[in-house]
Amino acid sequence: MDDRKIQIILDSLLPLLKAGVAFTIPLALVSFALGLLLAVLTALARISPWTLPKLIARFYVWVIRGTPLLVQLFIIFYGLPAVGIVLDPFIAGVIGFTLSVGAYSSEIVRAAILSIHKGQWEAAFSVGMTRGQALRRVILPQAARVSVPPLSNSFISLVKDTSLAAIITYTEMFRTAQQIASTTYEPLLVYTEAAVCYLLFCTVLSWLQSYLEKRLDRYTAT
Amino acid sequence: MIEILDLHKSFGPLEVLKGIDLRLEHGKVLVIIGPSGSGKTTLLRCFNLLETPDQGSLVLADVKMDFTAARKIPQKSILALRKKTGMVFQSYNLFPHMTALGNVMEGQVTVQKRSKAEARKRALELLSKVGLADKAESYPHQLSGGQQQRVAIARAMAVEPEVLLFDEPTSALDPELVGEVLKVIKALATEGMTMIIVTHEMKFAADVADTIILMDEGRILEQGTPQEVLEQPKSARARQFLNRLSGEEE
Repeated sequence: MDDRKIQIILDSLLPLLKAGVAFTIPLALVSFALGLLLAVLTALARISPWTLPKLIARFYVWVIRGTPLLVQLFIIFYGLPAVGIVLDPFIAGVIGFTLSVGAYSSEIVRAAILSIHKGQWEAAFSVGMTRGQALRRVILPQAARVSVPPLSNSFISLVKDTSLAAIITYTEMFRTAQQIASTTYEPLLVYTEAAVCYLLFCTVLSWLQSYLEKRLDRYTAT
Repeated sequence: MIEILDLHKSFGPLEVLKGIDLRLEHGKVLVIIGPSGSGKTTLLRCFNLLETPDQGSLVLADVKMDFTAARKIPQKSILALRKKTGMVFQSYNLFPHMTALGNVMEGQVTVQKRSKAEARKRALELLSKVGLADKAESYPHQLSGGQQQRVAIARAMAVEPEVLLFDEPTSALDPELVGEVLKVIKALATEGMTMIIVTHEMKFAADVADTIILMDEGRILEQGTPQEVLEQPKSARARQFLNRLSGEEE
Protein backbone atom coordinates (compact mmCIF):
# COMPACT_ATOMS: atom_id res chain seq x y z
CA MET A 1 0.00 0.00 0.00
CA ASP A 2 1.44 3.35 -1.02
CA ASP A 3 1.74 6.45 1.11
CA ARG A 4 -1.10 8.22 -0.66
CA LYS A 5 -3.57 5.51 0.30
CA ILE A 6 -2.44 5.48 3.89
CA GLN A 7 -2.81 9.24 3.95
CA ILE A 8 -6.39 8.96 2.61
CA ILE A 9 -7.26 6.45 5.32
CA LEU A 10 -5.85 8.66 8.05
CA ASP A 11 -7.43 11.81 6.65
CA SER A 12 -10.89 10.29 6.39
CA LEU A 13 -10.92 8.54 9.77
CA LEU A 14 -11.70 11.62 11.81
CA PRO A 15 -14.52 12.92 9.52
CA LEU A 16 -16.08 9.45 9.52
CA LEU A 17 -15.98 9.03 13.28
CA LYS A 18 -17.21 12.58 13.74
CA ALA A 19 -20.17 11.92 11.45
CA GLY A 20 -20.81 8.74 13.43
CA VAL A 21 -20.82 10.45 16.80
CA ALA A 22 -22.57 13.65 15.70
CA PHE A 23 -25.14 12.22 13.27
CA THR A 24 -25.42 8.41 13.17
CA ILE A 25 -25.61 7.85 16.93
CA PRO A 26 -28.04 10.73 17.70
CA LEU A 27 -30.36 9.58 14.92
CA ALA A 28 -30.21 6.01 16.21
CA LEU A 29 -30.66 6.98 19.87
CA VAL A 30 -33.58 9.34 19.34
CA SER A 31 -35.33 6.93 16.97
CA PHE A 32 -34.78 4.01 19.31
CA ALA A 33 -36.03 5.82 22.41
CA LEU A 34 -39.18 6.99 20.63
CA GLY A 35 -39.53 3.65 18.85
CA LEU A 36 -39.36 1.75 22.11
CA LEU A 37 -42.10 3.89 23.60
CA LEU A 38 -44.20 3.24 20.50
CA ALA A 39 -43.36 -0.48 20.74
CA VAL A 40 -44.56 -0.72 24.36
CA LEU A 41 -47.77 1.14 23.53
CA THR A 42 -48.34 -1.09 20.49
CA ALA A 43 -47.68 -4.24 22.50
CA LEU A 44 -50.07 -3.10 25.24
CA ALA A 45 -52.71 -2.31 22.63
CA ARG A 46 -52.29 -5.78 21.16
CA ILE A 47 -52.74 -7.58 24.47
CA SER A 48 -55.51 -5.25 25.66
CA PRO A 49 -59.05 -6.60 25.95
CA TRP A 50 -60.39 -3.85 23.65
CA THR A 51 -60.95 -4.42 19.95
CA LEU A 52 -60.22 -0.99 18.45
CA PRO A 53 -56.69 -0.47 19.88
CA LYS A 54 -55.94 -4.08 18.93
CA LEU A 55 -56.97 -3.49 15.31
CA ILE A 56 -55.05 -0.22 15.01
CA ALA A 57 -51.91 -1.83 16.43
CA ARG A 58 -52.17 -4.81 14.10
CA PHE A 59 -52.74 -2.58 11.08
CA TYR A 60 -49.69 -0.47 11.95
CA VAL A 61 -47.40 -3.48 12.41
CA TRP A 62 -48.74 -5.04 9.21
CA VAL A 63 -48.04 -1.96 7.09
CA ILE A 64 -44.59 -1.16 8.48
CA ARG A 65 -43.34 -4.75 8.41
CA GLY A 66 -44.73 -5.34 4.93
CA THR A 67 -43.06 -2.39 3.21
CA PRO A 68 -39.34 -1.65 2.73
CA LEU A 69 -37.78 0.91 5.07
CA LEU A 70 -36.12 2.53 2.08
CA VAL A 71 -39.49 3.10 0.43
CA GLN A 72 -40.94 4.47 3.68
CA LEU A 73 -38.09 6.97 3.95
CA PHE A 74 -38.64 8.05 0.34
CA ILE A 75 -42.34 8.62 0.98
CA ILE A 76 -41.64 10.67 4.10
CA PHE A 77 -38.83 12.79 2.66
CA TYR A 78 -39.52 13.01 -1.08
CA GLY A 79 -43.23 12.21 -1.15
CA LEU A 80 -44.73 14.32 1.61
CA PRO A 81 -43.55 17.66 0.13
CA ALA A 82 -46.09 17.01 -2.63
CA VAL A 83 -48.82 17.60 -0.04
CA GLY A 84 -47.00 20.52 1.49
CA ILE A 85 -45.16 18.70 4.28
CA VAL A 86 -41.46 19.46 3.97
CA LEU A 87 -39.29 17.85 6.62
CA ASP A 88 -35.73 18.33 7.71
CA PRO A 89 -33.67 15.19 6.87
CA PHE A 90 -33.08 14.45 10.56
CA ILE A 91 -36.77 14.72 11.39
CA ALA A 92 -37.73 12.62 8.38
CA GLY A 93 -35.17 10.00 9.45
CA VAL A 94 -36.42 9.98 13.05
CA ILE A 95 -40.01 9.48 11.86
CA GLY A 96 -39.07 6.64 9.52
CA PHE A 97 -36.81 4.80 11.93
CA THR A 98 -39.14 5.32 14.91
CA LEU A 99 -42.04 3.77 13.02
CA SER A 100 -39.82 0.86 12.02
CA VAL A 101 -38.44 0.22 15.52
CA GLY A 102 -41.94 0.59 16.99
CA ALA A 103 -43.38 -2.07 14.72
CA TYR A 104 -40.60 -4.65 14.98
CA SER A 105 -39.89 -4.19 18.68
CA SER A 106 -43.57 -4.32 19.60
CA GLU A 107 -43.43 -8.02 18.77
CA ILE A 108 -40.44 -8.43 21.10
CA VAL A 109 -42.16 -6.54 23.91
CA ARG A 110 -45.40 -8.44 23.38
CA ALA A 111 -43.63 -11.79 23.49
CA ALA A 112 -41.74 -10.73 26.62
CA ILE A 113 -44.96 -9.70 28.39
CA LEU A 114 -46.64 -12.97 27.40
CA SER A 115 -43.62 -14.93 28.65
CA ILE A 116 -44.23 -13.78 32.24
CA HIS A 117 -46.05 -16.52 34.16
CA LYS A 118 -49.73 -15.82 34.79
CA GLY A 119 -49.14 -16.47 38.48
CA GLN A 120 -47.40 -13.09 38.57
CA TRP A 121 -50.55 -11.36 37.34
CA GLU A 122 -52.62 -13.28 39.87
CA ALA A 123 -50.26 -12.45 42.73
CA ALA A 124 -50.43 -8.77 41.77
CA PHE A 125 -54.24 -8.87 41.53
CA SER A 126 -54.50 -10.69 44.84
CA VAL A 127 -52.75 -7.86 46.71
CA GLY A 128 -55.36 -5.55 45.17
CA MET A 129 -53.55 -4.09 42.16
CA THR A 130 -55.35 -2.85 39.07
CA ARG A 131 -54.28 -4.12 35.66
CA GLY A 132 -52.21 -0.97 35.12
CA GLN A 133 -50.48 -1.26 38.48
CA ALA A 134 -49.74 -4.93 37.88
CA LEU A 135 -48.20 -4.09 34.51
CA ARG A 136 -46.11 -1.22 35.79
CA ARG A 137 -44.89 -2.74 39.04
CA VAL A 138 -44.75 -6.48 38.34
CA ILE A 139 -45.00 -7.48 34.68
CA LEU A 140 -43.06 -4.83 32.72
CA PRO A 141 -39.96 -4.88 34.97
CA GLN A 142 -39.70 -8.62 34.42
CA ALA A 143 -40.50 -8.35 30.72
CA ALA A 144 -37.79 -5.70 30.39
CA ARG A 145 -35.20 -8.17 31.61
CA VAL A 146 -36.37 -10.79 29.13
CA SER A 147 -36.31 -8.38 26.22
CA VAL A 148 -32.85 -6.86 26.71
CA PRO A 149 -31.02 -9.30 24.37
CA PRO A 150 -33.51 -9.09 21.47
CA LEU A 151 -33.91 -5.32 21.89
CA SER A 152 -30.14 -4.86 21.86
CA ASN A 153 -30.20 -6.74 18.59
CA SER A 154 -32.77 -4.30 17.25
CA PHE A 155 -30.70 -1.34 18.36
CA ILE A 156 -27.55 -2.64 16.72
CA SER A 157 -29.55 -3.29 13.56
CA LEU A 158 -30.89 0.23 13.73
CA VAL A 159 -27.41 1.78 14.01
CA LYS A 160 -26.52 0.10 10.72
CA ASP A 161 -29.88 0.89 9.11
CA THR A 162 -29.33 4.59 9.70
CA SER A 163 -26.96 4.42 6.72
CA LEU A 164 -30.17 4.47 4.67
CA ALA A 165 -30.59 8.08 5.82
CA ALA A 166 -27.77 8.92 3.41
CA ILE A 167 -30.28 8.81 0.58
CA ILE A 168 -32.47 11.41 2.23
CA THR A 169 -29.43 13.73 2.34
CA TYR A 170 -28.68 13.24 6.03
CA THR A 171 -24.90 13.53 6.34
CA GLU A 172 -24.29 10.60 8.65
CA MET A 173 -21.34 8.25 8.51
CA PHE A 174 -22.12 6.54 5.22
CA ARG A 175 -22.96 9.74 3.33
CA THR A 176 -19.71 11.19 4.63
CA ALA A 177 -17.91 8.12 3.24
CA GLN A 178 -19.62 8.61 -0.13
CA GLN A 179 -18.44 12.20 -0.26
CA ILE A 180 -14.85 11.22 0.56
CA ALA A 181 -14.92 8.34 -1.91
CA SER A 182 -16.08 10.58 -4.73
CA THR A 183 -13.34 13.13 -4.16
CA THR A 184 -10.50 10.65 -3.62
CA TYR A 185 -11.55 8.03 -6.22
CA GLU A 186 -10.83 5.28 -3.65
CA PRO A 187 -14.23 3.63 -3.11
CA LEU A 188 -12.89 0.28 -1.94
CA LEU A 189 -10.64 1.88 0.64
CA VAL A 190 -13.10 4.42 2.00
CA TYR A 191 -16.16 2.17 2.08
CA THR A 192 -14.16 -0.54 3.84
CA GLU A 193 -13.03 2.04 6.34
CA ALA A 194 -16.65 3.07 6.88
CA ALA A 195 -17.55 -0.59 7.45
CA VAL A 196 -14.80 -0.85 10.07
CA CYS A 197 -16.19 2.25 11.79
CA TYR A 198 -19.67 0.68 11.94
CA LEU A 199 -18.09 -2.48 13.34
CA LEU A 200 -16.37 -0.41 15.99
CA PHE A 201 -19.61 1.28 17.04
CA CYS A 202 -21.52 -2.00 17.16
CA THR A 203 -18.80 -3.70 19.19
CA VAL A 204 -19.02 -1.00 21.84
CA LEU A 205 -22.81 -1.44 21.86
CA SER A 206 -22.46 -5.21 22.39
CA TRP A 207 -20.30 -4.51 25.43
CA LEU A 208 -22.95 -2.18 26.78
CA GLN A 209 -25.50 -4.93 26.24
CA SER A 210 -23.57 -7.47 28.32
CA TYR A 211 -23.07 -4.87 31.03
CA LEU A 212 -26.79 -4.14 31.09
CA GLU A 213 -27.67 -7.85 31.19
CA LYS A 214 -25.32 -8.42 34.12
CA ARG A 215 -26.82 -5.51 36.03
CA LEU A 216 -30.34 -6.80 35.49
CA ASP A 217 -29.27 -10.33 36.40
CA ARG A 218 -29.00 -9.70 40.08
CA TYR A 219 -32.44 -11.09 40.86
CA THR A 220 -32.33 -14.21 38.71
CA ALA A 221 -30.77 -17.53 39.53
CA THR A 222 -27.54 -18.76 37.86
CA MET B 1 -68.57 -12.87 58.08
CA ILE B 2 -68.29 -14.54 54.72
CA GLU B 3 -71.25 -16.07 52.95
CA ILE B 4 -71.79 -17.51 49.51
CA LEU B 5 -75.08 -18.75 48.16
CA ASP B 6 -75.81 -21.00 45.20
CA LEU B 7 -72.45 -20.37 43.53
CA HIS B 8 -72.06 -21.75 40.00
CA LYS B 9 -69.06 -21.66 37.69
CA SER B 10 -68.46 -23.27 34.31
CA PHE B 11 -65.43 -23.39 32.06
CA GLY B 12 -66.97 -23.77 28.64
CA PRO B 13 -69.21 -26.81 28.71
CA LEU B 14 -67.67 -28.07 31.96
CA GLU B 15 -69.59 -27.10 35.10
CA VAL B 16 -66.98 -26.96 37.87
CA LEU B 17 -69.12 -25.56 40.68
CA LYS B 18 -72.71 -26.77 40.79
CA GLY B 19 -74.28 -24.62 43.49
CA ILE B 20 -72.17 -24.05 46.58
CA ASP B 21 -73.54 -22.60 49.84
CA LEU B 22 -71.12 -21.67 52.57
CA ARG B 23 -70.95 -19.51 55.65
CA LEU B 24 -67.89 -18.67 57.71
CA GLU B 25 -67.82 -16.58 60.88
CA HIS B 26 -65.08 -14.07 61.57
CA GLY B 27 -61.99 -15.63 63.17
CA LYS B 28 -62.79 -19.16 62.02
CA VAL B 29 -60.80 -21.52 59.82
CA LEU B 30 -62.43 -23.37 56.95
CA VAL B 31 -60.53 -26.21 55.28
CA ILE B 32 -61.58 -27.49 51.87
CA ILE B 33 -60.58 -31.01 50.92
CA GLY B 34 -61.55 -33.31 48.08
CA PRO B 35 -60.19 -35.24 45.10
CA SER B 36 -58.46 -33.32 42.31
CA GLY B 37 -60.97 -31.93 39.85
CA SER B 38 -63.60 -31.56 42.56
CA GLY B 39 -63.63 -27.77 42.17
CA LYS B 40 -61.98 -26.80 45.46
CA THR B 41 -59.34 -24.51 43.96
CA THR B 42 -61.93 -22.88 41.69
CA LEU B 43 -64.14 -22.26 44.71
CA LEU B 44 -61.25 -20.68 46.60
CA ARG B 45 -60.43 -18.44 43.62
CA CYS B 46 -64.02 -17.21 43.54
CA PHE B 47 -63.51 -15.55 46.93
CA ASN B 48 -61.14 -12.94 45.45
CA LEU B 49 -62.59 -13.11 41.93
CA LEU B 50 -59.56 -14.60 40.22
CA GLU B 51 -62.47 -16.60 38.83
CA THR B 52 -65.79 -14.87 38.28
CA PRO B 53 -68.77 -17.03 39.20
CA ASP B 54 -71.58 -17.31 36.64
CA GLN B 55 -74.38 -17.34 39.18
CA GLY B 56 -74.94 -16.92 42.90
CA SER B 57 -73.96 -14.32 45.46
CA LEU B 58 -71.05 -13.46 47.73
CA VAL B 59 -70.91 -11.42 50.93
CA LEU B 60 -67.54 -10.62 52.45
CA ALA B 61 -67.50 -8.07 55.29
CA ASP B 62 -69.30 -5.06 53.77
CA VAL B 63 -68.87 -6.14 50.13
CA LYS B 64 -71.93 -7.74 48.57
CA MET B 65 -72.09 -9.14 45.05
CA ASP B 66 -74.63 -10.88 42.87
CA PHE B 67 -73.39 -12.80 39.89
CA THR B 68 -75.24 -13.27 36.64
CA ALA B 69 -73.80 -14.29 33.32
CA ALA B 70 -75.26 -11.18 31.69
CA ARG B 71 -73.74 -8.46 33.86
CA LYS B 72 -70.03 -7.83 34.34
CA ILE B 73 -68.82 -7.05 37.85
CA PRO B 74 -67.57 -3.45 37.95
CA GLN B 75 -63.82 -3.09 38.39
CA LYS B 76 -64.39 -1.00 41.53
CA SER B 77 -66.19 -3.82 43.34
CA ILE B 78 -63.54 -6.33 42.28
CA LEU B 79 -60.81 -4.12 43.76
CA ALA B 80 -62.86 -3.53 46.92
CA LEU B 81 -63.20 -7.27 47.40
CA ARG B 82 -59.52 -7.95 46.75
CA LYS B 83 -58.54 -5.39 49.38
CA LYS B 84 -60.33 -7.57 51.91
CA THR B 85 -58.67 -10.81 50.86
CA GLY B 86 -55.12 -12.07 50.75
CA MET B 87 -54.02 -15.12 48.80
CA VAL B 88 -51.21 -17.64 49.15
CA PHE B 89 -50.52 -19.72 46.04
CA GLN B 90 -49.27 -23.24 45.59
CA SER B 91 -46.27 -21.99 43.59
CA TYR B 92 -45.64 -18.97 45.89
CA ASN B 93 -45.65 -16.47 42.98
CA LEU B 94 -43.33 -14.05 44.75
CA PHE B 95 -42.22 -11.08 42.65
CA PRO B 96 -38.75 -12.24 41.58
CA HIS B 97 -37.40 -8.74 40.95
CA MET B 98 -38.06 -7.60 44.51
CA THR B 99 -36.44 -8.63 47.78
CA ALA B 100 -38.46 -10.40 50.47
CA LEU B 101 -38.95 -7.00 52.08
CA GLY B 102 -39.96 -5.47 48.74
CA ASN B 103 -42.52 -8.21 48.19
CA VAL B 104 -44.17 -7.53 51.53
CA MET B 105 -44.04 -3.74 51.04
CA GLU B 106 -45.37 -3.70 47.47
CA GLY B 107 -49.12 -3.99 48.08
CA GLN B 108 -48.97 -1.54 50.97
CA VAL B 109 -47.21 1.11 48.89
CA THR B 110 -48.88 0.61 45.50
CA VAL B 111 -52.39 -0.28 46.59
CA GLN B 112 -52.82 1.15 50.06
CA LYS B 113 -50.64 4.23 49.40
CA ARG B 114 -48.82 3.89 52.69
CA SER B 115 -45.53 5.72 53.04
CA LYS B 116 -42.41 3.67 52.35
CA ALA B 117 -41.25 4.02 55.95
CA GLU B 118 -44.56 2.81 57.32
CA ALA B 119 -44.76 -0.09 54.84
CA ARG B 120 -41.21 -1.06 55.65
CA LYS B 121 -41.90 -1.11 59.37
CA ARG B 122 -44.94 -3.34 58.95
CA ALA B 123 -43.14 -5.57 56.45
CA LEU B 124 -40.27 -6.14 58.87
CA GLU B 125 -42.73 -6.99 61.65
CA LEU B 126 -44.46 -9.52 59.43
CA LEU B 127 -41.20 -11.05 58.23
CA SER B 128 -40.04 -11.57 61.80
CA LYS B 129 -43.43 -13.04 62.59
CA VAL B 130 -42.90 -15.71 59.91
CA GLY B 131 -39.33 -16.18 61.17
CA LEU B 132 -37.53 -14.48 58.30
CA ALA B 133 -36.33 -11.17 59.76
CA ASP B 134 -32.79 -12.03 58.66
CA LYS B 135 -33.86 -12.69 55.06
CA ALA B 136 -35.45 -9.29 54.41
CA GLU B 137 -32.85 -8.31 51.81
CA SER B 138 -32.79 -11.69 50.03
CA TYR B 139 -34.30 -12.17 46.59
CA PRO B 140 -36.78 -15.04 46.18
CA HIS B 141 -34.32 -17.20 44.20
CA GLN B 142 -31.98 -17.10 47.19
CA LEU B 143 -34.63 -18.61 49.47
CA SER B 144 -35.83 -22.19 49.95
CA GLY B 145 -39.38 -23.12 48.96
CA GLY B 146 -40.50 -23.04 52.57
CA GLN B 147 -38.97 -19.62 53.10
CA GLN B 148 -40.54 -18.29 49.89
CA GLN B 149 -43.93 -19.51 51.00
CA ARG B 150 -43.53 -17.84 54.37
CA VAL B 151 -42.66 -14.57 52.61
CA ALA B 152 -45.79 -15.08 50.51
CA ILE B 153 -47.86 -15.43 53.67
CA ALA B 154 -46.35 -12.20 55.03
CA ARG B 155 -47.13 -10.50 51.70
CA ALA B 156 -50.75 -11.65 51.84
CA MET B 157 -51.11 -10.39 55.42
CA ALA B 158 -49.46 -7.03 54.73
CA VAL B 159 -52.61 -5.49 53.29
CA GLU B 160 -54.57 -6.46 56.42
CA PRO B 161 -57.18 -8.64 54.76
CA GLU B 162 -60.37 -9.84 56.39
CA VAL B 163 -59.63 -13.34 55.21
CA LEU B 164 -56.58 -15.24 54.00
CA LEU B 165 -57.01 -17.73 51.16
CA PHE B 166 -54.55 -20.62 50.84
CA ASP B 167 -54.39 -22.68 47.66
CA GLU B 168 -52.56 -25.91 48.53
CA PRO B 169 -49.79 -23.93 50.24
CA THR B 170 -47.54 -26.92 50.85
CA SER B 171 -48.10 -29.02 47.72
CA ALA B 172 -45.04 -27.71 45.89
CA LEU B 173 -42.72 -28.08 48.88
CA ASP B 174 -40.16 -30.74 49.68
CA PRO B 175 -41.53 -32.88 52.53
CA GLU B 176 -39.01 -31.58 55.07
CA LEU B 177 -40.12 -27.97 54.42
CA VAL B 178 -43.86 -28.55 54.87
CA GLY B 179 -43.73 -28.30 58.66
CA GLU B 180 -42.32 -24.77 58.85
CA VAL B 181 -45.11 -23.42 56.62
CA LEU B 182 -47.87 -25.27 58.45
CA LYS B 183 -46.52 -23.96 61.75
CA VAL B 184 -46.90 -20.36 60.53
CA ILE B 185 -50.47 -20.99 59.33
CA LYS B 186 -51.32 -22.70 62.62
CA ALA B 187 -50.01 -19.69 64.55
CA LEU B 188 -52.25 -17.39 62.50
CA ALA B 189 -55.24 -19.59 63.30
CA THR B 190 -54.47 -19.35 66.99
CA GLU B 191 -54.42 -15.56 66.70
CA GLY B 192 -57.93 -15.62 65.26
CA MET B 193 -57.16 -14.93 61.61
CA THR B 194 -60.07 -15.89 59.34
CA MET B 195 -58.77 -18.38 56.80
CA ILE B 196 -59.95 -20.61 53.98
CA ILE B 197 -57.46 -23.33 53.17
CA VAL B 198 -57.38 -25.86 50.35
CA THR B 199 -55.03 -28.66 51.35
CA HIS B 200 -54.23 -32.34 51.12
CA GLU B 201 -52.59 -32.41 54.57
CA MET B 202 -55.27 -34.27 56.55
CA LYS B 203 -53.57 -34.20 59.93
CA PHE B 204 -53.07 -30.46 59.56
CA ALA B 205 -56.68 -30.05 58.46
CA ALA B 206 -57.94 -31.91 61.52
CA ASP B 207 -55.68 -29.81 63.71
CA VAL B 208 -56.42 -26.33 62.42
CA ALA B 209 -59.96 -26.39 61.00
CA ASP B 210 -63.13 -25.21 62.72
CA THR B 211 -65.09 -26.49 59.75
CA ILE B 212 -64.09 -28.89 56.99
CA ILE B 213 -65.91 -29.27 53.73
CA LEU B 214 -65.29 -32.20 51.45
CA MET B 215 -66.01 -31.43 47.82
CA ASP B 216 -66.73 -33.82 45.01
CA GLU B 217 -67.69 -33.08 41.40
CA GLY B 218 -68.52 -29.45 42.05
CA ARG B 219 -70.69 -30.02 45.11
CA ILE B 220 -70.19 -30.06 48.85
CA LEU B 221 -70.34 -33.70 49.83
CA GLU B 222 -69.68 -33.39 53.54
CA GLN B 223 -69.58 -30.43 55.86
CA GLY B 224 -68.93 -30.23 59.59
CA THR B 225 -66.32 -30.28 62.31
CA PRO B 226 -63.08 -32.15 61.53
CA GLN B 227 -64.33 -35.05 63.61
CA GLU B 228 -67.66 -35.25 61.80
CA VAL B 229 -66.16 -35.08 58.33
CA LEU B 230 -62.98 -37.07 58.78
CA GLU B 231 -64.14 -39.75 61.20
CA GLN B 232 -67.87 -40.13 60.62
CA PRO B 233 -68.47 -39.26 56.98
CA LYS B 234 -72.05 -39.91 55.91
CA SER B 235 -71.56 -40.74 52.24
CA ALA B 236 -69.83 -43.72 50.68
CA ARG B 237 -67.93 -41.41 48.26
CA ALA B 238 -66.43 -39.51 51.19
CA ARG B 239 -65.40 -42.72 52.99
CA GLN B 240 -63.78 -43.97 49.80
CA PHE B 241 -61.82 -40.71 49.35
CA LEU B 242 -60.68 -40.62 52.98
CA ASN B 243 -59.67 -44.27 52.98
CA ARG B 244 -57.59 -43.80 49.88
CA LEU B 245 -55.82 -40.84 51.49
CA SER B 246 -55.09 -42.64 54.76
CA GLY B 247 -53.87 -45.58 52.70
CA GLU B 248 -51.34 -43.27 51.06
CA GLU B 249 -50.11 -41.90 54.34
CA GLU B 250 -49.17 -45.27 55.73
